Amino acid sequence: MGSPVAERSQSPRLDSKVPSGRLQEKWDIYKNSVSLVSPANKRSHHILVVGSGLAGASAAATLAGLGYNVTCFCIQDSPRRAHSIAAQGGINAAKNYPNDGDTIWRLFYDTIKGGDYRSREANVYRLAQVSNNIIDQAVAQGVPFAREYGGMLSNRSFGGAQVSRTFYARGQTGQQLLLGAYQALSHQVSMGRVKMLPRREMIDLVVANDRACGLIARNLITGELERYAGDAVLLCTGGYGNAYYLSTNAKNSNVTAAWRCYKRGAFFANPCYTQIHPTCIPVSGDYQSKLTLMSESLRNDGRVWVPKDPKDSRAPEMIPEDARDYYLERRYPSFGNLVPRDVASRAAKKECDEGRGVGETRLAVYLDFADSIRRLGEHTIRERYGNLFEMYERITGDNPYKTPMRIYPAVHYTMGGLWVDYELQSTVPGLFVLGEANFSDHGANRLGASALMQGLADGYFVIPYTLGAYLAGTRQSDQVTETHEHFATVEEEAGARIDSMLKNKGDKSPTQFHRELGRLLWDHVGMARNRTDLMSTIDAIENLKEEFWERILVPGSADRYNKNLEFAGRVADFIELGSLMARDALRREESCGGHFREEYQTPEGEAARDDEAFADVAAWEHTEQDPALHLEQLSFENVHLTKRSYK
Amino acid sequence: MIINLRVWRQEGPESPGKLVDYTVPEASEHMSFLELLDVLNEQLLADGEEPVEFDSDCREGICGSCGLMVAGIAHGPQKRTAVCQLHMRSFKDGDTITVEPFRARAFPVIRDLVVDRSAFDRIITAHGYVSVTTGSAPDANAIPIPKDTADEAMDYATCIGCGACVAACPNGSASLFTAAKIAHLGLLPQGEVESPQRVTAMVNQMDAEGFGDCSNYAECEAVCPKGISVAGIASMRRAYMKGLLSG
Amino acid sequence: MNLITALTSPVGRKVLTGATGIGLVAFVIAHMIGNLSYLPGPEAYNGYAHKLLSLGWIFYTIEILLALCFLLHAIIGISIQIRRWQARPVGYKMYKSAGKPSRSGYSARSMIFTGIILLGFLILHLISFKYGPGVAEGYTATLDNGESVRDLHRLMTEKFKEPLYAFGYPIIMILLGMHMRHGVWSALQSLGMMSRRLSPYLYALAAILGVFVAVGFLFVPLYIYFLV
Ligand SMILES: Cc1cc2nc3c(=O)[nH]c(=O)nc-3n(C[C@H](O)[C@H](O)[C@H](O)COP(=O)(O)OP(=O)(O)OC[C@H]3O[C@@H](n4cnc5c(N)ncnc54)[C@H](O)[C@@H]3O)c2cc1C
Ligand code: HEM
Ligand code: HEM
Ligand code: SF4
Ligand code: F3S
Ligand code: FES
Repeated sequence: MGSPVAERSQSPRLDSKVPSGRLQEKWDIYKNSVSLVSPANKRSHHILVVGSGLAGASAAATLAGLGYNVTCFCIQDSPRRAHSIAAQGGINAAKNYPNDGDTIWRLFYDTIKGGDYRSREANVYRLAQVSNNIIDQAVAQGVPFAREYGGMLSNRSFGGAQVSRTFYARGQTGQQLLLGAYQALSHQVSMGRVKMLPRREMIDLVVANDRACGLIARNLITGELERYAGDAVLLCTGGYGNAYYLSTNAKNSNVTAAWRCYKRGAFFANPCYTQIHPTCIPVSGDYQSKLTLMSESLRNDGRVWVPKDPKDSRAPEMIPEDARDYYLERRYPSFGNLVPRDVASRAAKKECDEGRGVGETRLAVYLDFADSIRRLGEHTIRERYGNLFEMYERITGDNPYKTPMRIYPAVHYTMGGLWVDYELQSTVPGLFVLGEANFSDHGANRLGASALMQGLADGYFVIPYTLGAYLAGTRQSDQVTETHEHFATVEEEAGARIDSMLKNKGDKSPTQFHRELGRLLWDHVGMARNRTDLMSTIDAIENLKEEFWERILVPGSADRYNKNLEFAGRVADFIELGSLMARDALRREESCGGHFREEYQTPEGEAARDDEAFADVAAWEHTEQDPALHLEQLSFENVHLTKRSYK
Repeated sequence: MIINLRVWRQEGPESPGKLVDYTVPEASEHMSFLELLDVLNEQLLADGEEPVEFDSDCREGICGSCGLMVAGIAHGPQKRTAVCQLHMRSFKDGDTITVEPFRARAFPVIRDLVVDRSAFDRIITAHGYVSVTTGSAPDANAIPIPKDTADEAMDYATCIGCGACVAACPNGSASLFTAAKIAHLGLLPQGEVESPQRVTAMVNQMDAEGFGDCSNYAECEAVCPKGISVAGIASMRRAYMKGLLSG
Repeated sequence: MNLITALTSPVGRKVLTGATGIGLVAFVIAHMIGNLSYLPGPEAYNGYAHKLLSLGWIFYTIEILLALCFLLHAIIGISIQIRRWQARPVGYKMYKSAGKPSRSGYSARSMIFTGIILLGFLILHLISFKYGPGVAEGYTATLDNGESVRDLHRLMTEKFKEPLYAFGYPIIMILLGMHMRHGVWSALQSLGMMSRRLSPYLYALAAILGVFVAVGFLFVPLYIYFLV
């Protein structure tokens, strides 16, 4: 690592392009002054949208509605299956329908604070501003949000906020919002303005004349490599939580598209910021393929505890009150079971590390509803959490009405991602990044119900304006076609990579490598990190990378459906990313949000942030040697930086 | 536990396929059915054989990617459970389980257990939406909707598009899938406006894709992981006749 | 919407099977009750048959409608079956019903067989009775009012004294009952008259109707064979 002092200045390569003016007026100022593209010209522009999650589907539908020619890609067999479909809890907006004092400012403030002051004020404020339009849009599309008997929309409260601003559709909010966006997308497909290409994986970005001008995708059925040229590329490919192998992300969630763009010049920001969700169903064995989230809302009525005595092997119902340790209530008397995600997760890890974990693997703590059932009745609990209890029982075979749930933290969301400016443009002109794939609005920690909001804000309400600004500045002569020499070169490189994996005929499957990487990251770049482990992890990942190219075994051929081949490519990228995550975690010598460095904690064991030295965004540039670090200094003109405390 | 599998193997769309026998000696009752297939695949890989291809993504019953005929039933024997959430405790040590792809002319096999369900997307593209462009929406609370109506719409909206209804239907009909979307949108004032056009277009597309007719067997409801009711099919027909009468 | 294309669409086809099916159910119930007038004696039965005939154009209209119903119903029913084969060219090696709330019991899955048997039956039935021996062949009866009419009572009695008729008919009637067991529920569902709340009741009603009609019909042949 270079000298920290030299690093700590603003990099000239990272111009955030935040408009001047009052925070509240920046977005209006931007919209008023941005150049527009005439309807006739829109038709002549071809936009490539990679991903069909909330961000991708909303962007593709909106841009097509404006008249652009859009091609949209996704990995799944249908755009409706993008990972956004799995979001359970809800989506925030500052509607203030319950009249409990919510405002745009409060939503902005909660988000900035929740992110531990590591995000850009102007972006977050804009997010809060457009949040209300999202709800209007979704309702008009037919999203069946929960309603009150009076026929009005219903709200619930969610972690990190004192107002009820979360809109929800049972435990399937992501599904309903995504179906709304998917249907809007289908509408444009029927009008002939969007060409939807499912089962296509973007495996490289084509840059010509210093602009993103197209991509190479692999047809996952025929295996063919296909070239697509466009005037701009929108990357909406989601988060990289699957680097940890076990996470709440879907099997196909990956970093490949983003990583390829990183290798073609887009900076990767804050890769060490991952969110670990405290209430997931624990791992039950080596065969486990993914983890299932149990909504955060359960902590409203469930009490978390472990037996005081590590050797206490009685069934949980048989353990008397005085032999239980309700450690969250003990350590955080004022927030109790409702401390934020990162705090709750670390506390559970601590109990298990010290041997008080429960269940066969001893990597779990109890989440107990007995008290609430006694107080409110089983009926009320069933009404509130019925579907979650069912899901839990389906997976574990235990009935949570009778015996406490066993839960453990799991990787859930990644705040880091490709660096983008106020216009959502990466450091490669013409390459825009939306949704979880970018690093923008959540700083070091994301609040519940705000990822859905961000994905849809980016796609429905931000990119339609900012893309125009870019396109208006391009010239006809910049347009290239699939016959451009760069396409041939990039396609060849991508093909060679695939060939070398297939030809290798080693002895280790992609899954085996993925599990090993996951273990390294979970142990050392997970809930708690320290210098020694991070250094050794960087080396270990380097070794894993070498081993990968020596021993990888991919069966079959490249000219057909071949899931192992897909996975192998993604694991290769995860391995490289893993190394960058560890580097970034090593550089950030403070604890903030989801990033907890053991060396930087208060005497009581709480996170110690260092605003003097690290109120910044770390953006990494790919080079032939070690990645190069660039910093964007964050300035807070409107909020006052305070310490988070939940005592 | 030991589990014997008879799995449909098929090279490609045009190749003939057959059932092949495998044994997984170290299955666990805590595994999901797809994890069992993962374990089988690692086993095959170690033996230098080609793994069994199947689709899955979320593995928590919401994305609709997974879908297999397990022991003759779409998504397997457990009610209201997608195959990714079916756990091995539903089976006994030593069981032999037949695994086949979803079958329908409109769902051609791509390889092994992977099928092409893009016909569903085309049905939605035909008119499974509310025609509203971004930015033109009124305030979300401008139109009150009775709670019961919203709840019923939500019941239909939970369809995950997995295709089990088609796979289980003795007629290979896509009526439940199509009706679920028509019922969801038709119940809400926002969607009701273009209901006649929607029903006609979606039903015609369903026909063009080569799905069978519905004989009201309700086998679809029985396998649907979201328990979508065939009452939706009745309401689709009502909407259709209404469209017919109003021209 | 073009009416013809609408009615040949998947939903249109179902609406038509439903509507014709309900028409047939109505006829069958009426026919069954009419047949029971065999029991009081020749006077009642022959008189009833005659009264129907003497309705003139009303009777013929109903007959034509009925014929249309049968024809349409059979054609669509069979076409639905053909589409079913087309919709799944490769079948399953193993297939099981998932059980409740599935409605695909024996009756449901045998609709095409019971239907086609009913079609065959109908032809033979019409030959035996409607186009069977009449006044010309000496089957004449005199009513109380002196009118001379076709003696259907005698025809019935003779026919059902033959074991083939006496036992063949009841078998067919059981098949008819099965056809109605799924049919009645199915027709209401096809016509969109079903809701989640109503469904279980109407499904039970269909079973009751099916048994009612089958028993009502098969009573007469057995009665004649054993008791007359
Ligand atoms: C279990 C769970 C629950 C959650 N609950 C909530 C919640 O209650 N509230 C909330 O606000 N947030 C929640 N989140 C977070 C939120 O769901 C995600 O952050 C958000 O949906 C991401 O949307 P996206 O559009 O950016 O990406 P995704 O929805 O992940 O979409 C990615 C798209 O990119 C495509 N893609 C990826 N790589 C490629 C490639 N190489 N080539 C082509 N296509 C590619 C995929 O096919 C897919 O279409 C939850 C997340 C999880 C895991
Ligand atoms: C003429 C001989 C007949 C044939 C070939 C026939 C055939 C069929 C078939 C194949 C079906 C199933 C349609 C489907 O799968 O959707 C059906 C349904 C039905 N049949 Fe028949 N049938 C005949 C006579 C009858 C009679 C006599 C009745 C009256 C009792 C009847 C009443 C019904 C009803 C009510 C339905 C349900 C209609 C629906 O599902 O909408 N059928 N018939
Ligand atoms: C025990 C059972 C039955 C008996 C005893 C019976 C008896 C008769 C008799 C005697 C006639 C002649 C009436 C006439 O020519 O005026 C007749 C006509 C007819 N029956 Fe039946 N029938 C039986 C069952 C059925 C069934 C199940 C069906 C339908 C599937 C059916 C359909 C008809 C039809 C269509 C006619 C002709 C009606 C007309 O056009 O006049 N019958 N039946
Ligand atoms: S209706 Fe049910 S079975 Fe059919 S696609 Fe939807 S969720 Fe799957
Ligand atoms: S099983 Fe098939 S026949 Fe109709 S009710 Fe369901 S689509
Ligand atoms: S894998 Fe998503 S529903 Fe089964």
